[in-house]
Amino acid sequence: MTAINDVTEVTGSQKRSRWGSRLDRREGRTAFFFLLPGLIGMVLFLVVPIIASVVLSFTNWKLLGTPQFVGISNYVRLFTADPQFWPVLRNTLFFTAEYLVLNIVISLGLAVWISSLKMGQRWFRVVFFLPTFTPGIAVAIVWMLIFAPGGFFDFIMRSLSVAMPSMLTDQTLAMQAIIIVSLWAGVGYNTVLFNAALDMVPQSYLEAARIDGANAWQRFWKIRLPLISPTLFFGTVMTAITSLQVFDQIYVMTRGGPGNATATLGYAIYQRGFQNFQMGYASTIAWVMFAMIMALTAVQFWLQRKWVHYDN
Amino acid sequence: MKLTTVLAAAFLASSAFIATVQAQEQVNLTWQMWGDEKDAPLWQSLADLVTAEYPNITVTPQISGWTDYWTRLPVLASSGQIADLVAMQSMRMPSFYSILEPLDAHFASDNFDVSAFETSIIAGLGHDGTQYALPYDVGPWMVYYNRDRFAEAGVAEPALDWTFDDFKAAAEKLTEGENYGYAVQAFDFVAGPVALGAEYFNDANQFDVTNEGYAAAVGKFVDLVAVDKTSPVFASGAGAITGSGRFAAGGAAMYIDGPWVLQQTKDSVDFNIGVAPLPRGEGESRFITAGSGWGISATSQHKEEAYKALQILTGPKAAEILASAGRALPGRLEEQKFWYDVAAKDVAGTHEVLDYMFAHSTPFRLNEYWNEFENLITQYMPLALNGDSTTDAVLADIQNQLPF
Repeated sequence: MTAINDVTEVTGSQKRSRWGSRLDRREGRTAFFFLLPGLIGMVLFLVVPIIASVVLSFTNWKLLGTPQFVGISNYVRLFTADPQFWPVLRNTLFFTAEYLVLNIVISLGLAVWISSLKMGQRWFRVVFFLPTFTPGIAVAIVWMLIFAPGGFFDFIMRSLSVAMPSMLTDQTLAMQAIIIVSLWAGVGYNTVLFNAALDMVPQSYLEAARIDGANAWQRFWKIRLPLISPTLFFGTVMTAITSLQVFDQIYVMTRGGPGNATATLGYAIYQRGFQNFQMGYASTIAWVMFAMIMALTAVQFWLQRKWVHYDN
Repeated sequence: MKLTTVLAAAFLASSAFIATVQAQEQVNLTWQMWGDEKDAPLWQSLADLVTAEYPNITVTPQISGWTDYWTRLPVLASSGQIADLVAMQSMRMPSFYSILEPLDAHFASDNFDVSAFETSIIAGLGHDGTQYALPYDVGPWMVYYNRDRFAEAGVAEPALDWTFDDFKAAAEKLTEGENYGYAVQAFDFVAGPVALGAEYFNDANQFDVTNEGYAAAVGKFVDLVAVDKTSPVFASGAGAITGSGRFAAGGAAMYIDGPWVLQQTKDSVDFNIGVAPLPRGEGESRFITAGSGWGISATSQHKEEAYKALQILTGPKAAEILASAGRALPGRLEEQKFWYDVAAKDVAGTHEVLDYMFAHSTPFRLNEYWNEFENLITQYMPLALNGDSTTDAVLADIQNQLPF
């Protein structure tokens, strides 16, 4: 408490004296110039494009030719007239929900399993992490060849006498194929993350619990899980954000099809912007996606108070 | 007085010298093209033809993949980085003509005659009566078939004017379990119905894909898959196992594509192939053609030089090189023989089939939403093919999304 007061006092006195001190102002200027390269980069590559995309979302820019201001008509069209928007939104949320739950459950399961191993922990960590540094497009192409009609997957199913439609041409199964591929590519990152967090749980806590008679199940739910909850929260938020933006797998494997079964917001932005050249409209969708991600992340941060335990 | 004369003479001489130097000034033209990396030497040899004719002009090809090319093109155009010479496909002309220089004034300046080219592709590389590019290749969509499979199944080889019923009967006879008679692809729902006499546009050149004629024609092709099971369903994803792949592997006895893949198809199969026109409906045969060419960027700083280069790149010698390599059935009629002699040499009936098809060609009707239409066909048609939806419902869905 005293320390905090001291800091406030120091900051306060600095504030008071700053206006009078020419030296401070000069230092400020020097600091400004030192920070300038970073600032220029940020303004040029982050702030300007963000502002530009807001402006674009109110125009009918078609990439070629000059954009014309069309007010909020892009937003009106998106929410009221575009027959594809609600299915696309539904697909995006469906993908995110299923993928997020499966990813967290599987990666946590793998992390717990790896940390329980007596030997080969490092080896398994590397094996599960491998897909993370494989390019997403390459992964999707290989899986596409596996799932393609008449491909390897169909061959296996036929050999096992399992009668099922081809994954990528079936309306229901196509999304499941995308989720399988995403899981294969995305589980490793969270596994390594959670595994590292599990290893940080002090052995003494677990030892004490064991002496008190807690079984393995209780030790997991009551000690390990609460202690890794900050990492779990980080993994959940990041996975949710990336899954709302899903694009690569869909671009390669289904192009949003069959029908609109796998069309998501990320793919809709590409399709409207770079296939149909409706940049203004694509920017509108991008902003809706941004707002959605912001809102869901805010909800997660709000919810974290209920289940995330920080040490301090 | 004398000194003034000498000075004036010296001035004139030096300005003439400067003018000569300027005329000889080296001009570097960039040439934007799609294609495979392995084709690079071929394009370079065309570029070298330009330098051989005009030593002060060098042309540098910039090659990118097909899909990337069309994503990059508008981006480069709107950011002012577009090349001097730009490759253009006839089907994309309605979307991109505005980035190209109209060529009619150039044609008038040197009395250039376009009658050396096949007429349907000259029309295809124009827009609203203005010419924007000159073609290097042309071709109609046609049926590639596996002659060995036809012989084994005892099916007669297709006649030039075969009907849809003949096509269907052949597909049925050739189908045996996983060995299909035909492998449908997305574009078949454009070229196929047109050959059957159907129109996807109304008179105002707007999409009307739910009209009775088009829906019935699409339905015929859908039934080959959904009802008769003579073809597998195609997946909407890019580069999935396509009709050409199945055909090459022997898993499908017929598929539809253009002469631009003939060389490649011939090289990738170990059986005899033949080509046939698309099947017709009740009426006369009619076929759409497509092709590609090169135009001059509307923002090029060197339009005169680019026009000179364009004439060489689409000239007789260049056409001969591309045709002899099997890369393109030339848009130039005179040089088509090189392609027939080389690429089409062992393929039954190529010459007669293409002559017949060019004689029965019909204008390929396009508008600015064409690209969206093709994407929607690829994305939605599998629903009708696998029985999840009906042809009418799928077409209604596509129509509903066109134009946005």
